[in-house]
Amino acid sequence: MDKLGHDDIVLLLVQLSVILAVCRILAETARLIRQPAVLGEILAGVLLGPTILGSLSPEIFAWLFPFNGAPAIVLDGFINLAVVLLLFIAGLEVDLHIVWQQGRQAIVVSAFSLIVPFSFGFIVSFLFPGFFGVVESDALVFSLFIGTVMGMTALPVIVRILMDLNIFRSSTGMLIVASAMIVDLLCWFIFTLVLSMMDNQQKSNITQTIWLTVGFSVLMLTLGKWLINRVLPWINKKMAWPGGVLSLSLSLGLLAAAFTEYIGIHAIFGAFIIGVALGDSEHLSERAKEIVHQFINNIFAPIFFVSIGLFVNFISSFDLALVLVVFAVAFVSKSIGATVGARLGGSNVIQSLAVGMGMNTHGTLEIILGTLALRIGLISDEVFVAILCTVIATIIISAPLIKYCVELDKKRSRLKDLFTKIMPDK
Amino acid sequence: MAGIYKKIALGLAFSPRVDALLAECSRLKQNWDAELVLIHVGEHGTSQEEKLEELLSKVNLARKDVRVFWERGKPDQRILEVCRKEEVDLLVVGALKRENLVKHYLGTIARKILRKAQCSVLMLVKPAAYAENFRNIVVNAEDSPYVKEELKIACALGLQYPGAWLHIVREVKLYSLSMTAADQYTEQEYEAYRQGLVRAEVEKVNQLLDDIPHEDLKINVKLLSGKSGFELSKFAVRKHADLLIVGASPRKFSFFDRVFPHDLEYIFGDLPCNLLMVSKRKEAGNG
Repeated sequence: MDKLGHDDIVLLLVQLSVILAVCRILAETARLIRQPAVLGEILAGVLLGPTILGSLSPEIFAWLFPFNGAPAIVLDGFINLAVVLLLFIAGLEVDLHIVWQQGRQAIVVSAFSLIVPFSFGFIVSFLFPGFFGVVESDALVFSLFIGTVMGMTALPVIVRILMDLNIFRSSTGMLIVASAMIVDLLCWFIFTLVLSMMDNQQKSNITQTIWLTVGFSVLMLTLGKWLINRVLPWINKKMAWPGGVLSLSLSLGLLAAAFTEYIGIHAIFGAFIIGVALGDSEHLSERAKEIVHQFINNIFAPIFFVSIGLFVNFISSFDLALVLVVFAVAFVSKSIGATVGARLGGSNVIQSLAVGMGMNTHGTLEIILGTLALRIGLISDEVFVAILCTVIATIIISAPLIKYCVELDKKRSRLKDLFTKIMPDK
Repeated sequence: MAGIYKKIALGLAFSPRVDALLAECSRLKQNWDAELVLIHVGEHGTSQEEKLEELLSKVNLARKDVRVFWERGKPDQRILEVCRKEEVDLLVVGALKRENLVKHYLGTIARKILRKAQCSVLMLVKPAAYAENFRNIVVNAEDSPYVKEELKIACALGLQYPGAWLHIVREVKLYSLSMTAADQYTEQEYEAYRQGLVRAEVEKVNQLLDDIPHEDLKINVKLLSGKSGFELSKFAVRKHADLLIVGASPRKFSFFDRVFPHDLEYIFGDLPCNLLMVSKRKEAGNG
């Protein structure tokens, strides 16, 4: 068995140490200015990549993150593992019980906040592929990708914002969270198909991928969940806690990822769906979920976020017009879609607007999507940077916009109470 | 004491447990000074009349103390129809603790009643011929249109037995997700946030109990996280509860809900103890 050399091991350890330390410092900086950690972690990638470190000290950058050799391959393995694990916890976050509880309203909101931005994104990119630097033959797949990115919503970021505003457990908060869960679920289905459409020019066909994707999901969410529900109580009872449940859950997640990769759908989809099935099991305790989250979010997420900065120069690939268009399409379409959905679902105008602003947050999953698309050559560096800027901008502006809507709603309620007191019969 | 329910109905089948069920109803009737309606779906003849007389005399009830409806057709539909027409407040039925797999998906009469009832339902899995008051009650205090009513009933039932325990349960929704989102807090902030969650829920319970007499009860406020219904049921088992009180679901459950169980379906599938499902009675003619 081949082994890493002495220097390779030193370099790998230094790489991981630098990644974790820089991410932590910038996440803490983000925390100081009351922004989510993900913002700091994205900037850590920019800082350690060719954009800043590579420009200021090309020698150190080339030594720390070589593009060839064993350390590069090992780091790439870590990055792939990080992506799979991030998708695994994204699946764990989908709580189908909350979706059931919110019922029809969540379905209406999610349908509109997916369909409207998806259609906007698709139409704009399909009509003007040249603007995005895409050749016409790739326009369909590219447009589907852009539509999917526009449709997604960053659940962890929203949760944090709602918690800070103290409306996480309110009816509006729960509606936003449940809708975001449905949207994420659907977007990963669509993206898996987009990935296979990219791939199918070489081998598999799209119908087969659809069947495999749907079949795997149905199987995992029924038979898989049934099996999980039989095995988990035994694990909880007989094995060390939380060691038993943690290692076996992760093992199952990785196995599912390997299986989907093997059958021709991407590894991330297997990890995501098994995450949903596990998270939906009543026998996986909230404490165990929290530990998995903390472990992956604090160790593997930084590795992924730095990796996105390693391959792209954000300054040379920054195209202002592209950034503005992607942001405008994302912001306008998502706001309109989610607001209309919430209104149709029965919320009042101001609450609907709050839902619209809440759903209008993009985050980790969009970046993962972008990274995968970039790796397989579906999008250019410029489009990737535009998506990243949109993610950063929506994270920053969402909180004040939701806060404004919530304050407005409180004022409206106070006025209504006052009016009822003055004119009780009306 | 003042009646919690004014009109009680019992779904009557001449099963081995009918004596105990009738004894429980007789006790409720006397405690609440309520009207008692008996609904039997099936054969009606002299032998059934005689059997009924015999059963009533065993629980010190006369024929004039009850109104009896002899019905034919599908048991769950007929029982619910009579309850609707008669404006029954509480329907009492006996049930097995657990259904087998096939019956679970198809639904037994008792479970069908639970899923479709338009009035409160008391499902007795352990009816006792020498009935006693409930002394270890678990009540679900989740936000719902019925939460206040559930607590009122729980307190009133608890107060009938000196020293009764009342476990009031609230769920911390999406606990792991919110604690994960709180991972940017310092250790102190994290702990403060966690305690804040607990405090907020306890305060809500106190607000709910504000105008409900409960001073002589031993009250335990319990916060649960996990899947609603499932955790509640587990807690009731852990506490050896003799009654679990929950609010009715805002929507009717279907076959799909049994395949992907959630909330009350967890409890319906495997009743942890006697179950009282609180609902507001729909007026006759309103469907």
